[in-house]
Amino acid sequence: MIAAVATLLIGLVLGYLGQRSRMCFVGGIRDFILIRDTYLLRGLAAFGLTAWIAFPLAGLVAGGGAPVPAGLSDGVAVALTMLGGFGVGYVSTLANGCPLRQHVLAAQGVKSSISYLAGFFAGAVVFHAWTAPLLFRVLPY
Amino acid sequence: MGIVAGLLAVAAGAFFEVRPPEAYGVCMACHGRDLVDWTVNAFFGTHLPVAPASLVFPVLTTVGVLLGALAGATMSGEFRWWSPESSLKTFVYGALVMNFALLAGGCSIRLLLRTAAGEALGLLGFAGMAAGVVLGTFWLRWRATR
Repeated sequence: MIAAVATLLIGLVLGYLGQRSRMCFVGGIRDFILIRDTYLLRGLAAFGLTAWIAFPLAGLVAGGGAPVPAGLSDGVAVALTMLGGFGVGYVSTLANGCPLRQHVLAAQGVKSSISYLAGFFAGAVVFHAWTAPLLFRVLPY
Repeated sequence: MGIVAGLLAVAAGAFFEVRPPEAYGVCMACHGRDLVDWTVNAFFGTHLPVAPASLVFPVLTTVGVLLGALAGATMSGEFRWWSPESSLKTFVYGALVMNFALLAGGCSIRLLLRTAAGEALGLLGFAGMAAGVVLGTFWLRWRATR
């Protein structure tokens, strides 16, 4: 319950800031390649650096915070993660924005982004109903 | 924006019970998946998987972002209905991105978050994402200049 309320509030702040700053986790790299504009890329770097510094600090304050396993022991997982990451990047670029940006655009009244979200949420069910079982059957687990 | 988002993402995981898994503070794909799966499970009695953080009640990041962005757009007068692309095409893009994101264990945001948390697998996923963006951009430029 705490998580639900906290994420709702955090989402509110992120949505508002994302709308004001046009924050996009894909657009930064794209804009830099196309027009050498670093505005969005700086946002990306700021997010990564802040989180990198804040994780150990939060671990100190909150206690616990088991060290995150590197997760490299499983070759299949590595391949799937890289493939998935590549797909996210490639299709997001074609769709003109990362998932966060699409949520913000949908809230601004962009109808194609609303249909993107419809596909996005339908995709979650598709993944668990068909994609994941198919992968489990095909891959050597 | 980047700094605030980073702080919030870490704080969510450390102080507000948005875990396990680790580095789960903000993720548009997984949190959307949790919300959808949880709702479908509740209404249709299915057992689609959700993250442990969302077992009792789903995380509402996506709803928050939509409302927050709506507030921002309305206050600045930027809200207007329009459609720059074919809706069917973006529907397919959305489904594809969600499938790839769940495959990688996170959307672009959480891949970066996992990298920042020191997870090597997250770094690989983020590298894959960056490669995908670079290739996608070159493809867009090639198609535009053809």
